[in-house]
Amino acid sequence: MLPQSLAALQCQTLCSRLMKNTVTPAIVMLIQKRNIQKHWNPKWKWFRAKKFAPVELPDYHKKEKSLSEMTPEEVRTYFKENGVQPTRVWKERYFYISSSSDTFEQYVPPEGDGKISAINSAGAKQKLELLKKKTTSWRNVKKIRSYEPDFELYPDFIDLAQDIYVKSYESLVRGDIDEISQYVTERALPEALSNIKNKTIHWKYIKSIEPPRVAHVRCAEVISKENQFAQITVRFHSQQVLAIYDRFGRLMHGSEILAKDVLEYVVFEKHICNQYGTWRIHEKIIPDWMPAPTPVAKTFVKPTPPPPEEEITQAEAKPDVAVMQTEPSGGTGPQVATA
Amino acid sequence: MFQLRILSNCVLHQLNSNGKLFLPLITTASDLHTSQSCLKKSLAEIEVPRFTRHNNVVFPPQQEGEERRPAFVCHFKEKIKYSPDKMWYIACLIRGMSVDQALIQLGYVAKKGAPFIRDTILEAQEMAVKDHNVEFKSNLWVAESFVLKDIVIKGMRRHARVRMGRVEYKYCTYFVRLEEGKPPKNYYWTGPQTGPEKLEEYLQSLRYRKISSSL
Repeated sequence: MLPQSLAALQCQTLCSRLMKNTVTPAIVMLIQKRNIQKHWNPKWKWFRAKKFAPVELPDYHKKEKSLSEMTPEEVRTYFKENGVQPTRVWKERYFYISSSSDTFEQYVPPEGDGKISAINSAGAKQKLELLKKKTTSWRNVKKIRSYEPDFELYPDFIDLAQDIYVKSYESLVRGDIDEISQYVTERALPEALSNIKNKTIHWKYIKSIEPPRVAHVRCAEVISKENQFAQITVRFHSQQVLAIYDRFGRLMHGSEILAKDVLEYVVFEKHICNQYGTWRIHEKIIPDWMPAPTPVAKTFVKPTPPPPEEEITQAEAKPDVAVMQTEPSGGTGPQVATA
Repeated sequence: MFQLRILSNCVLHQLNSNGKLFLPLITTASDLHTSQSCLKKSLAEIEVPRFTRHNNVVFPPQQEGEERRPAFVCHFKEKIKYSPDKMWYIACLIRGMSVDQALIQLGYVAKKGAPFIRDTILEAQEMAVKDHNVEFKSNLWVAESFVLKDIVIKGMRRHARVRMGRVEYKYCTYFVRLEEGKPPKNYYWTGPQTGPEKLEEYLQSLRYRKISSSL
């Protein structure tokens, strides 16, 4: 206690000396003395402060280090301070055994599909290649029949596929996640649901331009030989209307009155060894040759590139410039291949 | 008792901030203390969910020719260690300003609360552009800006003759709503009315009056 009060006294004398030496009175700090219930002598400041019980106030905005960044010593002190035992980290890894994680031998749609006629040479060549691939598909259809004797591609399956396709969209538009998971596999679900939060989607299936047809059939075993999955790629060529509104009801993408021709290759999957398995949408094949989808009309600020290692002169440096950029319309809209 | 309360607050905060590591996650102080005062929520804690739920309201699609509905975003920063009474002055200052203007003005406020408000506005601005389809981040104005009292931690101060006094360490929560568009000319006062406007107001008051014992 004594050294503290001595220090306070020293401070006080120093202040008074300084005040004597100052030439201009304007520099002297004005201290309010009236209406303040404190002793004028700063010697008592320390004693006044001691009257308060020490309280550790939580700071809710302090950026705390995560345990992985701390040194072992810091971790030890952290747990010691809080008086708790370190526990093991809870890590879970989810496995879905009712759907596969990928598409087996993905079908590659012929280039210019929906535009090239079968009469010209390019179209004829494509038809020939398709015939060769068909044999493998028929072998796989037989495999499905070994689990499901009544299985027929036309018209049973193709009608079912069309129904699932339309219903999956309708449940997506309604935002009914429980229902959509009946029509979409666990692999495709996050893709289907991305970017649709708080948005209003208007979608209409007008008609089929060409009747849907099966393009590809594949079966594969996962882990054990009995665990069989079947995947069928179906080609849909239809006319649809899509309009996406944001949270405030303003049109973001598409149009309510403009019908577009949509060509899609949709992969359906079924866990065939499961007697309660159903056909569900697994993936949509987007070929490399397809043109980019219509971008959302929005302005973005172009991020400034990191400065190169050579020194840049002031004249060369440029500010951020707002430019139009193209952004893919996300997973919500159907992919438009032909227009 | 108050010492225990303080201890629990600090420890709980530290535990909750790193909640993943602890399997039995301790949620609130009410687990330790079951008296009414601990179960009671602060004014700000009640307001936070009520205020932020506006961010999830979906409006019906607009018809053609309808005036474009302005976007808005609600945001808050909770448990700032600053007196709500002092924060009130800063919250009032930026009300009805454009975002850019508010940020400039806040740069000149030499108060502890100003950087917190500045951070909140910048976060809200980013949210608006990222999630709420606002095209230009400067095209926003401060439509609402207010502060509410949050938790108060009680301390103790020694008095003469074996007496004690209570010290209140106050926390506050700041709320802001940014709206798309240009700020109105007068935020608080709509300006002098013209003749037809006054007439319209008078007619409206007549229509709204209640005639007792009538049909």
